[in-house]
Amino acid sequence: MKTNTMSYKCKQFMMFAGVTTFIFIAVVIVPFIYGFYLTFTSWDGVSSQKPFVGIANYVASFSDVAYWQALGRTVIYSAIAVILVNVVAFILAFLVTSGVKGQNFFRAGFFIPNLIGGIVLGYIWKFVFNRAFVAVGEALSIGALSTSWLATTNGAMLCLIIVSVWQYAGYMMLIYVAGFMSVSADVLEAARIDGCTNTQSIIKISIPLMVSSFVQCLFLTITRCFMVYDVNLSLTNGEPFNSSVMAAMHVYNQAFTYKNYGTGQAEALILFIVCAVVGVLQVSIGKKAEVSA
Amino acid sequence: MDDLNERAARNRKIKHAVFMVVLIVLFACFIFPFLLVLINVFKEKGDINSNPLALVGSRGFTLKNFPEAMDKMNFWRSFGNSMVVTVSSTIFTILLASMTAYVIVRNKWKACGALFGMMIASMVIPFQVLMIPLVSFYGGTLGILNSRVTLIFMHVGFSLSMATFMFHGAIHTNVPIALEEAATIDGCTKWQTYWQIVFPLLKPTIATVAIIDAMAFWNDYLLPSLVLGRKEMYTIPIATQVFYGTYSTDIGLVMAALLLAMLPILVLYLFLQRYIVEGVTSGAVK
Amino acid sequence: MRKKLLAMMLATAMGLSLTACGGEGGDGGSSGDGGVSITIFNSKSEVQSQFEAMAEEYSKTKGVNVEIYYSNDTVAAHMATKYSANDPYTISMVDAKDVYSLAEEHAADLSNEKWVANTDYAISVGGKVVGFPVCVEARGVIYNAEAIEAVTGKEFKPEEYKTLDAFQGLLDELVAGGMETPTGIMKEDWSLGAHFLCEVYEEQPDVEAYISALHAGTADLANNPKWTAKMDTFDALKKYNYAAGSPVAAEREVTEQKLAEGEIAFMFGGNWDWSVINAYEYSEKMGMMPVPQNTDDGANEKLVGGGSKYMFIDSSENTSDEQRQAAKDFLNWIVFEADGNAFLTEQCALVPAFSNVNAEALDPLSASVKKYADEGKLIDNYNYFPDDHLSKCGASFQKYLADQIDRAGFAAEIEEYWKNTTPVEH
Repeated sequence: MKTNTMSYKCKQFMMFAGVTTFIFIAVVIVPFIYGFYLTFTSWDGVSSQKPFVGIANYVASFSDVAYWQALGRTVIYSAIAVILVNVVAFILAFLVTSGVKGQNFFRAGFFIPNLIGGIVLGYIWKFVFNRAFVAVGEALSIGALSTSWLATTNGAMLCLIIVSVWQYAGYMMLIYVAGFMSVSADVLEAARIDGCTNTQSIIKISIPLMVSSFVQCLFLTITRCFMVYDVNLSLTNGEPFNSSVMAAMHVYNQAFTYKNYGTGQAEALILFIVCAVVGVLQVSIGKKAEVSA
Repeated sequence: MDDLNERAARNRKIKHAVFMVVLIVLFACFIFPFLLVLINVFKEKGDINSNPLALVGSRGFTLKNFPEAMDKMNFWRSFGNSMVVTVSSTIFTILLASMTAYVIVRNKWKACGALFGMMIASMVIPFQVLMIPLVSFYGGTLGILNSRVTLIFMHVGFSLSMATFMFHGAIHTNVPIALEEAATIDGCTKWQTYWQIVFPLLKPTIATVAIIDAMAFWNDYLLPSLVLGRKEMYTIPIATQVFYGTYSTDIGLVMAALLLAMLPILVLYLFLQRYIVEGVTSGAVK
Repeated sequence: MRKKLLAMMLATAMGLSLTACGGEGGDGGSSGDGGVSITIFNSKSEVQSQFEAMAEEYSKTKGVNVEIYYSNDTVAAHMATKYSANDPYTISMVDAKDVYSLAEEHAADLSNEKWVANTDYAISVGGKVVGFPVCVEARGVIYNAEAIEAVTGKEFKPEEYKTLDAFQGLLDELVAGGMETPTGIMKEDWSLGAHFLCEVYEEQPDVEAYISALHAGTADLANNPKWTAKMDTFDALKKYNYAAGSPVAAEREVTEQKLAEGEIAFMFGGNWDWSVINAYEYSEKMGMMPVPQNTDDGANEKLVGGGSKYMFIDSSENTSDEQRQAAKDFLNWIVFEADGNAFLTEQCALVPAFSNVNAEALDPLSASVKKYADEGKLIDNYNYFPDDHLSKCGASFQKYLADQIDRAGFAAEIEEYWKNTTPVEH
């Protein structure tokens, strides 16, 4: 059988990937291109007219101060949240692989927040921050708790970060658990015999061998944090005074609430480019680290 | 020597005790919000407003939040819709993505490279970018919104990239090419080789993808809310969200609704917990 | 074995998809039993359950299948997705500004309907009547007379507290009498930005001219007498606010519960707040009064409001003429039939916008609104605010409430907003 002809290749490709290609193009690529076209129009989202305006929407995006503020805020939020999620996840992973009793129970327990959608957990946490913490603060007269954190600019940001850590740490923990388990016991035993303390062997042996886990976790957390929307909507809804509006929410408001659909779409594309650049950078740096380790 | 061993054993015991305490504290933080919902769901809303932390409100224990919330969010219908959408989308995603990953891994064709490259890039497209074009293309041009089949189609389309990426890694590292060559020599076609040799070897990854995607589909709000504009098709997240908007002033009902929205997946998790944890863990090893 | 498993999986998937297809036959044109189906989008969340109950009843008695929808999105965003998907509702209940932006392309002409003669509140666009007014709503200060009387020991007469000076005196009296924090303020951006702040514009002698001046940057907001009067009153509400320590954390339900149960006596709001208040152990002796202010332009004797929420009927080919007729019948049912009247005024407790509709059983707040409306003491809503006014100016107002900026800074932000915003065409 000839496996080198064009017709064989086509047949094989269509057999295995034909449906996928069709669905992927239909659902992702076509809307993406259509959306790109819409950035050159001044469509308001409801009208049947879509007047062509050239690059006006991009000019408007670049001069939209609120957008860049939201984007800057998203970068700060993502940076802190990504670091904290991974630190907490790593510590959890270390603890639940250390051989304590009931470690499977804990693994399962820490994963539970992942089972719940962003909207629902946003509402639950809103209740926690607004009511429960305040009630605790009043009962014990702890000043820092007696007013809702969601009411202040920094507090709202802090709340978003706390919820993100709570939401993602369990999932990332499992990836790190896998990483810990992939480091073979022989290597660790050898290190112990050579006189390494526990801490040393984690830093010198486990971590370098777990680079691929780090790359995977970072990629997942970074992309999720950059595109955060659900929790933002249900937890803070941009309040107080629009100071917790993240990039995705601003895009949504720009397009629908303020009815500048084209500008919103252009801003969404800029967000996409930022995400893509950060994602690619992070993965390629990670790959290099993996090779050198 | 004995003494040393004893000391080491004692040290380990202390260490484990410390770890245990840390774990329990962290665990308490992790489930605190759930506990809070659990306490308040049995209270009248006046009591919730006045003291959210009390175990029992001054007006006593009540179950009335449940039937009302179930009725208003049309729980069983939403539940059925969520099941249909989640199960079908997950199965199609697994079948299609694993096949695609196979052809991509085993062949260095240009089409494969192009498709895979586009898929990777698409993983960082925020959904908001595609939302309106998607709605206006499928609704405005084709007129096929308000159908669960369309939603399943779109769910599959959006999750294929990530799933293909995961199967790609698994086939790359876990499926020995020698096995396939042997099958080819025995006269198997590529199609047969794939289903009889490769697919069964992908079990751990299938479990992982199944779990991750099923959870994503079950919890997804934005896409279903755009596609399913008819009440009889509402999924649980849409029902919850609409419910929250309509009755957000009745906090007791909201609590019950939140609990009901979480419940199915929590129950499932209780039964499948071991497989789920194993699935995610083993899928992560590359 | 494996093949079997695979076949089973596929079969399940197919089966499930097929079940999914079942019951999707209806394209909205007609229901199974041959009657017409119409959809109604309700954007007043507080009457959602009443609407659903009505739909069930209406479907039974009239043979027209009615389905009610609600969305958590902003009305404008929800309309945008429905229209870009070519899947509009037969009847959409929206805010006045949405009628203006949608009517030209999407709304059916209702000029020849009988109810047009019975209302002063309908919206016309391009010479055609398109918007059916659902109700009359107004803003003012909500009071709990029982709570006030319990402290002062004498009958509370709202008309005695027209000026800020008088109002301030009463607040001090309440504080002296043991009610430490007699007021509450809703921190929601719509309450601050779209309700309280807008009264500053709406009470100007010539609203249009003033808005133009704001756009042009020639309106000196900080020294405007209405601004000063309104903000002085706001400062009084702010000073005695029960949540003064953390005003932007105040939750609406908690504030309204306190008001209903008499822990506080005053809150700026509207008659729609009754739907929240009535969920608690409320006092019967509540009502609404004009916002007290030191002014002599008469604004402190009037509430601000008018027609609120408008229904329009879709004019596109997605809606059949049959459905359009059924929709028109539905509007007529509300205005001209006893059941419709009862639905509007009794079940939903809305103040009717039609002269022929009687309303006896209104709640205390709506009764106040109706009284002022009947006496002609309503200052009109202004319906042409830009779409981002609420969000942006509401955010500035929240900053003022939280003492992040002072009054001059607040005025400057509002002026800045108007200067950088394109005027709304109308």
